[in-house]
Amino acid sequence: MNSLQRIQAAIHFEQTDRVPVIPQVFAHAAVLVGKTLGAYIRDGETLAQCQLKAIAHYGYDAVFALMDAGLETEAVGSRLLYRNDIYPCVERYALDNIRDLDGLVVPDPNLSGRMPELLKAANILRRELRNEVLIVGCVLGPMTLAMQLMGPEKALFLAADEPDLFGRVLDFATDVAISFGLAQIEAGVHTPFVFDPSASPAVVPPQFFREFLLSRLKRLFSALKSGGSLSNWLHIAGPAETIFPYYPEAGVEIANFDYCVNPMRARKLLPETCLNGNIKPLSFVEATTGDISAECAGLLAQLAPGRGYILSSGCEIPPEAKPENVAAMVSASRAKE
Amino acid sequence: MNSQAFDRLIKALLDGDQSVAVAEAVDLRNAGVDNEQIIIGGIETAMGKLEAKCTVEQFNLLEIMLAGRAVTGVIKALYPDGPPPATRETVALASLEGDVHDLGKNIVKTVLLAKGYRVVDCGKDCPLETLIDKAEREGARTICISGLITSIMPLVRQVLPMLQIRGLTGIKVLAGGAALKQASANSLNVHYVADSVFDCVRYLEESTGQAPVQSQ
Repeated sequence: MNSLQRIQAAIHFEQTDRVPVIPQVFAHAAVLVGKTLGAYIRDGETLAQCQLKAIAHYGYDAVFALMDAGLETEAVGSRLLYRNDIYPCVERYALDNIRDLDGLVVPDPNLSGRMPELLKAANILRRELRNEVLIVGCVLGPMTLAMQLMGPEKALFLAADEPDLFGRVLDFATDVAISFGLAQIEAGVHTPFVFDPSASPAVVPPQFFREFLLSRLKRLFSALKSGGSLSNWLHIAGPAETIFPYYPEAGVEIANFDYCVNPMRARKLLPETCLNGNIKPLSFVEATTGDISAECAGLLAQLAPGRGYILSSGCEIPPEAKPENVAAMVSASRAKE
Repeated sequence: MNSQAFDRLIKALLDGDQSVAVAEAVDLRNAGVDNEQIIIGGIETAMGKLEAKCTVEQFNLLEIMLAGRAVTGVIKALYPDGPPPATRETVALASLEGDVHDLGKNIVKTVLLAKGYRVVDCGKDCPLETLIDKAEREGARTICISGLITSIMPLVRQVLPMLQIRGLTGIKVLAGGAALKQASANSLNVHYVADSVFDCVRYLEESTGQAPVQSQ
């Protein structure tokens, strides 16, 4: 069973030779091989080479063609501030003034900002790893992209004051995600990871998720699936239990759940959805290998018997994580072989 | 009659309905209620109810932001020539250098202002020296650091030693935010790690009042 087959089996709750393991290694791959984060998120070749070296080093089951949360908004017209050792941030928002909404254009992934570099990375990863390993892309979910286009405070106030207008921003963000996600599939990713931490109940209440976000996520996942995505994978950070019941309707097939969610509660709320999570990201920086091994063993004991589980972190593994802690997680998945 | 008007004001604040809240506050003042009573009976009561709600139910930023905006609107209407003098201690607030996220910091600021604290907002991406200089100059009794990225943790750990070098040993240091709240107070070398904005307020009230602060 190769990595891709293992993950496909887990998604369908079929038997696997071992539990698949996908630490969310993004820019940690750059740190691991001695590249700067700044180079990693600007150059598709560098990103792909770092990911290839990281998977060769650790031996987990997926690689990520993923740069940062500023990629889409930059392609739409926001200006980012870059630094060498941290992820870029938005310096000027493309939709600083809501009156500019009608003038926004869905960016062409082959021409806009760093999107072509990400597609290059996806292409290299697929060429090198073929169908042995899951190649994961990434698009921002509608809520997170809306906040990246407008700034978080403006976006949230607009959502409350002019919900119809905010709905149009979400529709635009969904169009961007669909266009970029389909281009990633075309370039070689098996599945674009939908990253929507701002849809968390820690940011907006569950009723908001139901009324504003559910239909947009449904449209996004439906389009990605029709475009050939292997599975619909959603990450929403924080205490997301209250919105888990909406996941099946949205079309979610893999639910990444954060460290603050009780694993068995997640399983109870999502009995037919493949789960992946949920080691606390900071533990990869601060804990010992013994702590990580014990935590992984606990998760495997709870979730592996029922199948439909991928051992993972609750969110991104911080770039500065200790490599031995990532290795400990991968080893834990093999302890069951 | 005033009791019903206070109830309407509190409801509008909790609903985050700024225009209704301002109208109710102005009506109360026109009916002869003084500003201080409106703040104590209206704003502080509403913030207490919001805190209680966020403890029992799911805490979400949107609700807090809307209530905060309504509170700001009411204070502006009551004090058109500038905010009233703070009734509580000074708090210096920042996101540290390298962290450009300030939504969490701004929410803490709004809630602290509504509670009567004097807030010195040192902004986002704030160098450590700047934060400590301002805290010293403004006589802050507490420094609150909001952090969304783990890479600022080494900076957070330096705050207390730098305060000690300057002889500012009376200043408490609090941390919070999505990244920092994953860590313990010991590992961050701070006095307290707050789980939410209201947890932050509780700590401030307890550490400057009589009630002892529960250790984490």
